[in-house]
Amino acid sequence: ANPAPAPAAAEAKAVPAPVQAAPAAATDAGNEAAAPSAAPSMDGSLPGYTPMKPDYENHVGMPKDRGVDFQEQFSPNGHYAKWMNNSILLPIITIISLFVLGLLLWVIVRYRRAANPEPSKTTHNTFIEVVWTLVPVLILLGIAYPSLTLVAKQFKPAPADAVTVKVTGYQWYWGYTYPDHGGFEVVSNMLQEQSAVKPGERYRTDDDGPRLLAVDNRMVVPAGVPIRIQTTAADVIHSFAVPALWFKLDAVPGRLNEKAVTIEKPGVYFGQCSELCGARHAYMPIVVEALPPAQFAAWVKAKGGSMPGEKPAEAAPAAAPAAPAATETAPAAAPAPAAK
Amino acid sequence: MTTIAANPADHHDHAHDADHKPGFFARWFMSTNHKDIGTLYLIFAILAGVIGGGISGLMRLELAEPGIQYLTGWASMMAGKEASLDEAYHMWNVLITAHGLIMVFFMVMPAIIGGFGNWFVPLMIGAPDMAFPRMNNISFWLTAVAFIMLLGSTFVPGGTGLGAGTGWTVYAPLSTSGSVGPAVDMAIFSLHLAGAASILGAVNFITTIFNMRAPGMTIHKMPLFVWSVLVTAFLLLLALPVLAAAITMLLVDRNFGGAFFDAAAGGDPILYQHLFWFFGHPEVYIMILPGFGIVSQIVATFSRKPVFGYLGMAYAMVAIGVVGFVVWAHHMYTIGMSVEMKMYFTAATMVIAVPTGIKIFSWIATMWGGSLSFKTPMVWALGFIFMFTVGGVTGVVLANGGVDDNLHDTYYVVAHFHYVLSLGAVFALFAGFYYWFGKMSGRMLNEFLGHLHFWIFFIGVNVLFFPMHFLGQQGMPRRYPDYPDAFAHWNEIASWGYAIMGVGVIIFFINVFWSLVAGRKAEGNYWGEGATTLEWTLSSPPPFHQFETLPVIK
Amino acid sequence: MAGAKNHDYHILPPSITPLVGSFAALVMFFGMVMMFQPKVLGSYGSLVFGAGLIGVLYTFWTWWADVIREAHAGDHTPVVQLHLRYGMILFIASEVMFFVGWFWAWFDYSLFPEALKIEIDHATHAFTVTNMIGQEGAEAFKQWPPKGMQVFDAFSLPLLNTLILLCSGTTVTWAHHSLINGDRKGLINGLWLTIILGVLFSCVQAYEYAVAPFPFAGLNYGSAFFMATGFHGFHVIVGTIFLIVCLGRAYAGHFTPKQHFGFEAAAWYWHFVDVVWLFLFVVVYVWGGWGAPVH
Ligand code: HEA
Ligand code: HEA
Ligand code: CUA
Ligand SMILES: [Cu+2]
Repeated sequence: ANPAPAPAAAEAKAVPAPVQAAPAAATDAGNEAAAPSAAPSMDGSLPGYTPMKPDYENHVGMPKDRGVDFQEQFSPNGHYAKWMNNSILLPIITIISLFVLGLLLWVIVRYRRAANPEPSKTTHNTFIEVVWTLVPVLILLGIAYPSLTLVAKQFKPAPADAVTVKVTGYQWYWGYTYPDHGGFEVVSNMLQEQSAVKPGERYRTDDDGPRLLAVDNRMVVPAGVPIRIQTTAADVIHSFAVPALWFKLDAVPGRLNEKAVTIEKPGVYFGQCSELCGARHAYMPIVVEALPPAQFAAWVKAKGGSMPGEKPAEAAPAAAPAAPAATETAPAAAPAPAAK
Repeated sequence: MTTIAANPADHHDHAHDADHKPGFFARWFMSTNHKDIGTLYLIFAILAGVIGGGISGLMRLELAEPGIQYLTGWASMMAGKEASLDEAYHMWNVLITAHGLIMVFFMVMPAIIGGFGNWFVPLMIGAPDMAFPRMNNISFWLTAVAFIMLLGSTFVPGGTGLGAGTGWTVYAPLSTSGSVGPAVDMAIFSLHLAGAASILGAVNFITTIFNMRAPGMTIHKMPLFVWSVLVTAFLLLLALPVLAAAITMLLVDRNFGGAFFDAAAGGDPILYQHLFWFFGHPEVYIMILPGFGIVSQIVATFSRKPVFGYLGMAYAMVAIGVVGFVVWAHHMYTIGMSVEMKMYFTAATMVIAVPTGIKIFSWIATMWGGSLSFKTPMVWALGFIFMFTVGGVTGVVLANGGVDDNLHDTYYVVAHFHYVLSLGAVFALFAGFYYWFGKMSGRMLNEFLGHLHFWIFFIGVNVLFFPMHFLGQQGMPRRYPDYPDAFAHWNEIASWGYAIMGVGVIIFFINVFWSLVAGRKAEGNYWGEGATTLEWTLSSPPPFHQFETLPVIK
Repeated sequence: MAGAKNHDYHILPPSITPLVGSFAALVMFFGMVMMFQPKVLGSYGSLVFGAGLIGVLYTFWTWWADVIREAHAGDHTPVVQLHLRYGMILFIASEVMFFVGWFWAWFDYSLFPEALKIEIDHATHAFTVTNMIGQEGAEAFKQWPPKGMQVFDAFSLPLLNTLILLCSGTTVTWAHHSLINGDRKGLINGLWLTIILGVLFSCVQAYEYAVAPFPFAGLNYGSAFFMATGFHGFHVIVGTIFLIVCLGRAYAGHFTPKQHFGFEAAAWYWHFVDVVWLFLFVVVYVWGGWGAPVH
């Protein structure tokens, strides 16, 4: 029942062996698996789809040089969480730290030996002890309320019609499957710098994204609608993380984690694998490209997929032979709930 | 039990007998003397601290600017041949793994429990030695061979390159199917050996503290350092065996086809994390509680005032120890846990801030109304109280499961735990070292150099670790040898911080060597009237066998 | 090193045993790694391991020989005996926590059986449990025990073993009471019986392993089962050896009604092993195998 292994994944599957395959090679093979019919273009564009340029000016979805704060947030829960930190936690911990510092400085000055030669013998004061037990309790209760609210929000399941993307972590790249859209898989590898690739191979340009953050094939999703992200992994644990969406979910072999997110604005949002997964842990970035729904549909078409409700495009299985076919033809061996 | 009421002062009468020492080899390689074993532990820990701190220097060097600068060269050196990029990346993972394991298992724990615990628990409770002196020695030597095993692991294959590159947490399946070669097996056995050593040590400390207190020293009269070691020993006793089981499962999966963590065979990779953190969270309190104890002694001594709220201080540590066992999954907020679990662990974790706050405020209250003198140990203790608070409150931020979704596995976490470890536990270590060095060696450390060490180190580690909060909030993940250019600025500053700190450490060593050779001779109680615990009733250094006649506590 | 000591604590002379023992443990474990990795570290693993093991056993031997010698020399004053009691109890407490780890694994799989939600490898579907338990696919793990596998019948050999261990618990108590009452014959008989029962238990367990209807490798049930019961079995063997040593010492007249901590430690250890078994029996055999076809 098992279809022949696709070259890309098979090569990457040599998990325990010391990795010989150069990143560039994996990139090539990955491209092939995702869209073997279309010759890989140098900027990742497809008929009907041109990758969006990252917004460097406003540092959308990426870290800022010398930045100190959280990245600007682009999801409702992200706003709430950032507010929670910046308006509740950060002031509280700053005040507590400064309070402790102030007390220390005060005793240092006031009770230095020169200023206070005779020490008192006080060792108890029930009232003050009760105070410094109860006040922290109250502060913590004050923190707990918004904190648990945040957790509850984050766990609100996505509505049934949410767009599902199944994210699979591989050593060391990501695969994005779209079960609602014909089940094609996008294989996403980091783009190397020009100096690191052979002539004629695709390399990173600033239109792709910053160094170490840009990928050849992005995870494209619609903006403004709920998205259901499911994560899993093929070899070891990875973690799918996008700071600007306040999103981090581990990708664990044999498990399917799920979390909903709504991206408020179209844009390109960068992230990085956030669980130690071996040698190239730092080299499997994540790029989420949120498009207006119509453009998303065009991208799905370009990938050979279909929108839900539409008759599945005849070309779909042919365009993406390995992964989706596997999911559908071997339900006994792998009843992936993702394949709805 | 023979309890002869005696004046501690008349030890000096038979000090000659009591001070008969065995020859060099017997004394240092066959020791059954708690003070000598404590000294061995301290020397060992300093050595490990230099190695672990040196490794972190290599790490800061590589991270000082974006790109891979040195790793390929180091990996080539290790392998004796030109290393590939992947081997260089693997080298990074080996460095952080070694750094984490060495600092935790071979620097902080041996120094603070094996070193100071061994030296001062018997002295403070008025006991002639530990309950099991010979077992005490095997605890030390097992730690030593564990270290050899760990260092050895860096020379054998461990997957993509030489050495174990799993992180100090050794998560499966990266550590099972993901790392072929003997390096990870060796690292695991190293943990087995170090764990066995610590369990035996814990048995020894608990037995000693329960049964060898001098007549009249009830449990509620014990110095707080002894309390802290008691609680720590229980944490060790109950947490380490679970780690032993977990890493044994790793071995089984690696070498016998076991399926504990192999999802394809019904195993559960997350199970490993639960087992690890059930040990790992108590472990972080194992590293800090004795530090709390040391700081309590120092603050009281240099305030010339008894500790404020003694019972509250003691039972706060008990509370931290107990609650510490039920918060472990706050390290696992992003594994995809259920909403109930996430809420529970959020709430439970924050609870620990309460007893910890009691300790912070009681230290300040101890100083309140005191007559403070700012000898070197005291400045380290003051530094500890402030820096630990900063590290503690960022822990409270991380405790919020919803917020941790962004911060988990970023440099914010790295900043948090270095504030509680490198600025918490290490500050406590230095404080204790300056406090007791005279007692242990008979020579006083230099005050000026001590203060200089403090200030340079204090500035250095803050420059080093504070910017990591920014990096973390901006989203820089941990365990990365290279980073997007936007993170360059704060990384460079952090690396400069390392350089500053390094100067401080050099001054420390100058101070130690200079004092050992030419330091002022230390009298019995060189801190004066504030120092009231029993070790100050003895000469400096104490006789080889102290308390041959047990002191009586009124 | 008695000096002028005025207390009853045990101050020991220097001893080389800890150093030897630690390095022997290092050699032993390294030998084990060599055995795991013959391709990398050569084929002398078993030799190295054996050498280390001999060193470790030698350490145990000399160590406890020293302890016994010291006991006879009168070093084990009442307070030192109290230390030994505390030491043994704490050691057993740590052992309990060790078993907590194995039970944790068992509960993890049995309370939260997870169907594999995805195929492991998109490309090859390399994942199959077919060979292990004759069942296709991920669904097998949705239930506990995994679908398609056979388990032991808790109420045959395991029940027998439960009875054997329970009996041995009473015989060791008989031995203890005889010892306290100065009845050396009762002590020796009780010990003999306990040892025989212990050996019997191990034999039954070995037989059971030999006919196990499921494998150790490649199956969560198998790994968790064999490691939990296996470590218990290992403790039974250690406990039996401990009792045999006590028997020898009983013949040699080492124990007195007043001072016999060696025996007590063995008895405690034996009870601990016994209690762990009861948990294993209930949790692993009865409850943990419930509903599955039995062998
Ligand atoms: C000495 C070691 C030590 C100590 C003492 C602590 C103390 C605490 N830690 Fe920390 N922690 C680590 C070492 C330590 N930690 C390490 C090594 C890791 C990373 C491991 C890894 O992944 O490699 C880690 C990671 C870590 C995480 C996981 C982060 C992640 O990976 O995503 C969390 C989350 O909850 C956390 C929380 C806490 C809390 C709440 C405390 C509390 O105990 C702190 C309590 C103290 C205070 C709060 C300050 C004083 C109190 C007051 C002044 C009273 C008033 C205060 C309030 C009302 C807030 N820690
Ligand atoms: C006690 C624990 C401890 C201590 C002290 C330190 C100290 C330092 N650590 Fe760290 N570190 C960890 C525990 C510790 N660390 C852990 C657990 C990790 C995670 C590993 C992982 O991800 O798996 C980590 C990870 C870690 C990282 C992240 C790596 C990554 O994620 O890629 C970095 C990066 O800069 C770093 C740097 C440093 C530096 C520059 C110091 C400097 O402060 C070092 C300077 C040296 C000293 C302060 C030691 C001096 C002490 C003595 C000489 C002994 C004194 C003894 C007596 C007085 C008796 N460490
Ligand atoms: Cu994938 Cu880290
Ligand atoms: Cu923790």
